[in-house]
Amino acid sequence: MKNERWTIGLAVFFIITSALTLFVWIPIDIETGVVETFRRRVNIGDAMAPTVVAAAILVVSILMGIMALIRPSPNLMVKEGLDKQSFNFLSRMIIPLGLGLSLMLYAGPLVVDFINTMGGEISTYRQLKDTFPYKFIGYSLGGFVLVFGLVCLIENRSSLSAAWAAIIAVLLLTLLYEVPFDNLLLPPNGDY
Amino acid sequence: MGLLDHIWLGIVTVFTADPVFAIAGLPISITIVMVFFGFLFGIFVGATPGIGGPFAMAISLPILISIFGFNPDALLPVLGFLVGIMKGSTVGGAVPAILFNTPGTPDSLMTTLDGYPLTKRGQPGKALRVAHFSSVSGDTFSDIVLITCAPFLAILVEKFLDFPEKAALIILSLAFVSAVVGSNVWKGLLAALLGLFMAYVGTGEDGYPRLSMGSDYLANGFPLISAVLGVLILGEVFKAFEEMWREMRETSTITNVEVKGDNKLSLSDVRRILPYIGISAVIGTIVGALPGIGNTLAATLGYATGRKIHKGDPAFGEGAIEGIAATEAANSAVAGANLIPVLSLGIPGNISAVFILLATETISGFNPGPAVFRLVPGQINQEMVYAFGLFTTMIFANGLNWTMGGIFMRWMGVMVKIPKQRLLPIVLLLTLTAIYVQQTSMFAVYVTIGFGFLGYFMRKLKLSVLAFVIAFILANNLEESMRQAFAVTGADPWFLFAGPVSISFMVLAIVVVVFFARNQKNLS
Repeated sequence: MKNERWTIGLAVFFIITSALTLFVWIPIDIETGVVETFRRRVNIGDAMAPTVVAAAILVVSILMGIMALIRPSPNLMVKEGLDKQSFNFLSRMIIPLGLGLSLMLYAGPLVVDFINTMGGEISTYRQLKDTFPYKFIGYSLGGFVLVFGLVCLIENRSSLSAAWAAIIAVLLLTLLYEVPFDNLLLPPNGDY
Repeated sequence: MGLLDHIWLGIVTVFTADPVFAIAGLPISITIVMVFFGFLFGIFVGATPGIGGPFAMAISLPILISIFGFNPDALLPVLGFLVGIMKGSTVGGAVPAILFNTPGTPDSLMTTLDGYPLTKRGQPGKALRVAHFSSVSGDTFSDIVLITCAPFLAILVEKFLDFPEKAALIILSLAFVSAVVGSNVWKGLLAALLGLFMAYVGTGEDGYPRLSMGSDYLANGFPLISAVLGVLILGEVFKAFEEMWREMRETSTITNVEVKGDNKLSLSDVRRILPYIGISAVIGTIVGALPGIGNTLAATLGYATGRKIHKGDPAFGEGAIEGIAATEAANSAVAGANLIPVLSLGIPGNISAVFILLATETISGFNPGPAVFRLVPGQINQEMVYAFGLFTTMIFANGLNWTMGGIFMRWMGVMVKIPKQRLLPIVLLLTLTAIYVQQTSMFAVYVTIGFGFLGYFMRKLKLSVLAFVIAFILANNLEESMRQAFAVTGADPWFLFAGPVSISFMVLAIVVVVFFARNQKNLS
């Protein structure tokens, strides 16, 4: 029955969300109806497909819940669902992932702003995003933190070899995109 | 222009268009170069535990599109590279299974049963040669079936299927995939429906993009590549991170194998394994042609059938070369056959086929489906030329596999020494970079990560990611077919039951779901 707990939970979740989608989200966020008449021609409207799919999700979720209750899975070897350790892992994984992506997006502009504040007057990041070394700051720092952080998390320790692996990976990926292709933009330079 | 003209044009395009250099005055085209590099890359990733062909295809596709662009000229080089990966990874996958008892992919699990005992007996060379010969034989057989069947199936489809039938066929395929993949039919259906629903966000025919909640970011829907790569690749990477984190890196010691005894593949060995290869190639091809049933089932069925007919020593599981042959021929025969539903119906059957279809969806000029093989008197059907070009790349990759695959395969034993916990974070960064380079927006990166978490949760909750992805890709085709069918039947609400063919498809869809739901207990 332990496995079915997750299946029943999933069924309840989808029963609620599909009902909300059917009766709240679709009516307020789609401007045409399920069918619409234009010059006396009846056509399928934009609401048809999502409505049919949401209704099907509702029906399938109800059936899935009922089947889990009356016919539990005989396969006890298959572990299903998330346990405390899964949430523990996810909460830890988000840190290098979030930090890496934030650095990737903001490190370059922050460095440029800092230099400008210190009296450097080197123009804006938007104008420098195609100039060495500014165009690599975000990707290098963010990529390093992402790879190094994740390796440390998985290995449960930090090591010099992990740092080197991250540095080499970022370097190789930068070379892979920068050397042969003039027109490709590394993250985050296309956003500025 | 007849069929033969199109075949010839396809071959000529592959071998002569856009030459990049010449060898002894013979120009070598970009497509040939790409197939070659894709093939090498495929063996490399196939031999690396934890990566495999689909990973490599996923990572390569955005990079290839960034390099070659979206024009039809890009089609054959991009598809050639993907085909090369597909072919190379099927033989490469046997390397860690045989040498280190580490199945790089689930379908190689059966290869370990006889491959590793042979290695322990000092005959890794023989095991690798048997795996290579069987794998390439199965793959070649499957390609021949694809090349001969896909055009005829497409012509039949084109002749008998109108919009209502096409819509019913997509519904049948989705029902089949949902019911067959995974252990629970309802979860399979739920995953497919979720894929359909997410594909409908931000699309539609009205000026206001539906279900976009007024957000400009969602106005064009979720980017296809971000969604597919997120669910398929990042979801798997996140799950692998967790598994490794849980194990806290158990110390894996690599056994150094002493090579001794007979390591060659003799003619008598070939005679011994040929019947097993033949049976498994047929099994793999049939399994591959059905959407949703992948290499793992083919390998299992091939191995089980081989074990039933095998007599004598050594027994299956104790280092029988017939065991390796039965497994490798079956799982490799899936590769070509799974392109049959893609090319004739536009419906992908497994993850590799998803990436081939994704490439054709992204690059203009080739829309897999029944129209590809339509002959127009006096005109060239460029799509048919591309289709035969694709077949040519497959045959060329098979040629590489026969001639060089075995050598490269034996070199790749070293790949297993790369620690997975160092490699997968780099694969994550590479995937995110590839997405960004193609879409030049951090939003696409966030969407990919979001879909990655969705893929992670789906795996943990045993919701089929394959059903989700196939539904996501087919959603707009399904809606478009339905709109057209509704219009051509004069707004008949029962358009899916308007003709005998569509009725059969719909009834079959219901039968498949009911059958698998009723037999769930026995099957699991």
